[in-house]
Amino acid sequence: MSCRFESDVLRAAQEDQWSDSVRRHLHECDDCVAAAAVAPWMSRFAKIGDREHPLPDPQIVWLKAKVLQGTVDAARVSRPMTVVQLVSYLVVAGGWAAVLTWKWDAVAAWLRGFTPTGLVQNVVSGESLSMSFFALVFILASMTVMLAMHTILAEE
Amino acid sequence: MFAAALNLSAPLMAEAQTRTGNPRPMDEGRFEAFYRRNAGSLWSYLFRMTGHEAVADDLLQKTFFRFLRANPVLASEEHQRRWLFRTATNLAMDHFRETKRERAVELGDLPESGASMEPREVLRHDMMKTFAELKPRERALLWLAHVEEADHEDIGEALGVKTHSVKVLLFRARKRLGELLTKKGLAPEVRR
Repeated sequence: MSCRFESDVLRAAQEDQWSDSVRRHLHECDDCVAAAAVAPWMSRFAKIGDREHPLPDPQIVWLKAKVLQGTVDAARVSRPMTVVQLVSYLVVAGGWAAVLTWKWDAVAAWLRGFTPTGLVQNVVSGESLSMSFFALVFILASMTVMLAMHTILAEE
Repeated sequence: MFAAALNLSAPLMAEAQTRTGNPRPMDEGRFEAFYRRNAGSLWSYLFRMTGHEAVADDLLQKTFFRFLRANPVLASEEHQRRWLFRTATNLAMDHFRETKRERAVELGDLPESGASMEPREVLRHDMMKTFAELKPRERALLWLAHVEEADHEDIGEALGVKTHSVKVLLFRARKRLGELLTKKGLAPEVRR
């Protein structure tokens, strides 16, 4: 209460029964005047019937809350997995970018070599990409396929 | 009454009880009884705040969902009730922010009261329309102070404002409602 007389003032305003002491108090307290001015209206406003249909059923609210809780729990449990998945995307994408940048000249030359002349020259010169490079590509390709499969299966 | 719910003579002690007590987790039966005791007044508050039955239903359910999810370990039902009103107020304010509607019931939403309405309906309609002209925070202040008879500390907690600001805000809200009532010829004469 903003004023110790406020409850008396509110009661007087609602019942429209003003004692001398309350009336005297109104001369010196703007807070109570403002409270008294709206109290009867607020009291009537609170009493008007406002529900034309019943409240939501408590059993339904309970069930919905449990379902929502289940969804929240599932999201919480799967959060670490989602993080791991995101990190895997970044690692694979970064791996491909690094490998291709590191060996781009050799890869471009290797691709250009897929012509009759190029194949002969490669055989004669014995130039080619190293086995370790192909092993790296194989590992990255396997990871990409596994990640794609995991994503598809997880979504399903 | 909310007044009793909000009136904490020793909040710190109550908080201590909150943490050290051994309250039972709420099962379905207890929840149903708790809901039946508190949902009506909470719904009335939300309906007066938003002006829409469907929105009030929605916010009421969200409030209880949060209550069940948070499972607040509180010393008494009064504290739980206070928790409900605070959460409901936050949800209502979020609703206003999300929908960008400062006034829950835009004046255009409410048709003019017509001859087809019963007198009780006209009264209800006109009162809702008057209340809707206030800002959401003013509506919350007036409802909590006059209907729930909450004290300033608890109103401040529910609205996220300092206790000493509530006095000023409540005074302004009352003045504003008083002006509206005077404009509409509904204000009682306060004899000084």
